[in-house]
Amino acid sequence: MRELRPVLIVAGLLAALALFGPALAPNAPNAIDIPNRLAAPGGQYPLGTDAMGRCILSRLLHGASWSLGLAFLVSTIGLVTGTLIGLSAAMGGRRIDWVVMRVTDIFLAFPDLVAAVVIAGVLGAGTGSLIFALSATGWMRYARVTRGIGLGLAKRGHVVQARLAGLSPAAIARWHYLPALAPSLTVVWTGMLARAILGISALGFLGFGVQPPTPEWGTMLLDARVHMRSTPLQMIWPGGAVVLCVLAINLTGDILRDALTERTEPA
Amino acid sequence: MRQILDLLLRALLVLAGAALLTFTLLWHAPGDPATTIAVARYDSVVSQEIIAQIRAEAGLDAGYWTAFRHWVTPLLAGDLGNSAVSGRPIWPEMRTAMALTAPLALSGLLIGLGLSIPLAMLAVRHPGGWVDRGAVAVASLGAAMPAYWLALLLILLFAVKLLWLPAMGTGSARHLILPALTLGLGTAAALTRILRSALLEARGAPFLPALARRGVQRRERALSHIAPHAAIPVLTVAGLELAFLLEGTVMVEVIFARPGLGGFLIHAIQARDFPKVQAVVLLIALVFVVVNLLTDLLYQLVDPRIGESDA
Amino acid sequence: MLTVETLTVTRGGRTVLRDVNLTLAPGRTLAVLGQSGAGKSTLVASVLGLLRPDHGQVRWNGAPLPRGAAALVMQEPRAAFNPRLTLRRSVQEPLRARRLPDDPVRLARLCRGLELPPESLDRLPGQVSIGQAQRAGVLRALIAAPPLILFDEPLSALDAMTQKHTARMISELQREEGFAALVVTHDLGYAAAHADAIAVLRAGQIEETAETATFFAAPQSAYGRSLVEAAVSLGALGRQTAA
Repeated sequence: MRELRPVLIVAGLLAALALFGPALAPNAPNAIDIPNRLAAPGGQYPLGTDAMGRCILSRLLHGASWSLGLAFLVSTIGLVTGTLIGLSAAMGGRRIDWVVMRVTDIFLAFPDLVAAVVIAGVLGAGTGSLIFALSATGWMRYARVTRGIGLGLAKRGHVVQARLAGLSPAAIARWHYLPALAPSLTVVWTGMLARAILGISALGFLGFGVQPPTPEWGTMLLDARVHMRSTPLQMIWPGGAVVLCVLAINLTGDILRDALTERTEPA
Repeated sequence: MRQILDLLLRALLVLAGAALLTFTLLWHAPGDPATTIAVARYDSVVSQEIIAQIRAEAGLDAGYWTAFRHWVTPLLAGDLGNSAVSGRPIWPEMRTAMALTAPLALSGLLIGLGLSIPLAMLAVRHPGGWVDRGAVAVASLGAAMPAYWLALLLILLFAVKLLWLPAMGTGSARHLILPALTLGLGTAAALTRILRSALLEARGAPFLPALARRGVQRRERALSHIAPHAAIPVLTVAGLELAFLLEGTVMVEVIFARPGLGGFLIHAIQARDFPKVQAVVLLIALVFVVVNLLTDLLYQLVDPRIGESDA
Repeated sequence: MLTVETLTVTRGGRTVLRDVNLTLAPGRTLAVLGQSGAGKSTLVASVLGLLRPDHGQVRWNGAPLPRGAAALVMQEPRAAFNPRLTLRRSVQEPLRARRLPDDPVRLARLCRGLELPPESLDRLPGQVSIGQAQRAGVLRALIAAPPLILFDEPLSALDAMTQKHTARMISELQREEGFAALVVTHDLGYAAAHADAIAVLRAGQIEETAETATFFAAPQSAYGRSLVEAAVSLGALGRQTAA
């Protein structure tokens, strides 16, 4: 599992940012200071203020727990449901496999961000709809990868032995499938975590996600857009935060994938 | 032949499922659709009678399956139905929107291909060299960049600071440049990565040194042996790229205030005009499924050995 | 008592097993002889209930084979073990699956019988020799004392010396434990030395069944005769029977 280390480090750093970011904020994220609206960086407000005089740095740090925390939540919900669905296809026999994979195809018939926008928009803007929308559109890749590897595992000697011994399907999945699936699922998870961060901020930017005045990066960008002419920097911060996080996750995902292909290639 | 038939049947099944899924979501949406329509139409407090009238008229008082049949039957004949808000047929409005979306998506794709193909080919000439590393770095950055932020940055630079191009609207061809650039840069980032690794993999294919020894020219090797080999992974990802393009178009249209399909969809959602939402979603799914079907078919043409094992 | 009645299995339009009938009493060893492609693996899978036959049935004392009543020793010793679990964990899986308590005394006795150093059980499958892995496979098959054990080419991955030794240890343990053994193999020497009865499988059909001595003295089917003749001319029988 040494290959997983870069992923764990970056994921840990982002999780720490989500957990402890708010504690580092110099000001209250929603404290309005009209006399100091659209202030330049410096003094009490290290990154300046927005149109209502709220501290941008504080909103950015509090936003981390929303943008990143929700991304962790959504990608983990997808991981759990997708893996369970994939396992049921791989372990449940040909008919269940067929049905499950066709259902997966149907969910894959929509570009996921478009689907998420529609679901979140139709269910009514808010954090709950956002979580539901991104989870409902984010499980299919896990299911496909799990099913693909799982079908190969079903023929392995140790899985046959476990079935013969009468081990329960849950125990077989726990001891014989999940350890073999973990590296590939982690690769998928990094990709989906990045997608979730992008999706959350996109929905926020469209007004379908986390609602103002909650400081979420996409919503902050939506606020900042109006004042692009006067204070363009205000728009740089939340977008830059999204890019940095996504970039870090994608790079570790690439490293992990390369390590895995190198390991499996000679075989 | 059997496999092609199989693919077609599967695509039809997926489309039917997609229609049912879309309908189910909207059927279970919170709020009373009839009231929503009434408020949207008359823009004030409306009487229960009018609401009941609307409910009957829109077939909303029927059960789930009846309502589904009422929607699907005309749909099969190509009738997308009428807007719940204006009562006018959806198709003409949607066609106007599509006429704005198509050039955007197409030019985005062309910019994407135009940038990524030369970049990927330059990069793989010296794998690990500084051109290669630079290409990978730029592509990684591009893949991490949300379309809406890139759009805002481009607006900031070209429209606000340099005043070269209009930021919003649709008036002229100049209005198309920034949206198309946003879409094209994002597409190029994703495509460069895929093309690069596909070309690298194809170049490493074991038969190439043999061809070189047989005296096959470098250009000849590149065109007739490496290219088809690289085509397979590129084809697979082309379908995924289409998703990116469709998503990107929706976002880009909203930011640049272009009344294309994306804007059409967002407005329909905001107005809770569900027949319109259904129509757009289904159209997008149709495009998506058809393109995926085409890539699957091409895939089989390029490499007939790849069967249905990967479902 | 294992009975296989009119077992027929088709796969992809091809009949892999046709009307197979076999019986096997506790404590006895039945060797099913056949070349690769004769349907041996399908027979094993059907007896174990891993695939559903198109026709016929597999019974144990007149009833369907209970869960966990049959164990399998596989041809590839290492592949039969989860590469991420210690041999000990895998060996105890049959006990765990049926919530039976660990029995250290029995485990130690079986280890002695199989000449498996107890500390080798704490290694991963990739860290022991093929021979040790195969004996651990036999250990796993025996641990929960199932009344029936199937051996699918149990010795073919081992070298000649280890083969003979392992075969003897299995026979010894069978005398102590009294399980019924169904061995599918193409190795006539092994069958001659350790089986009580022989069944000849060819193209999915049983050509003949006989007690071992009877079979080797006078094979009834033409195919059985050709098998015995080929083995005699190679000298494969003499060496093994003598051993």
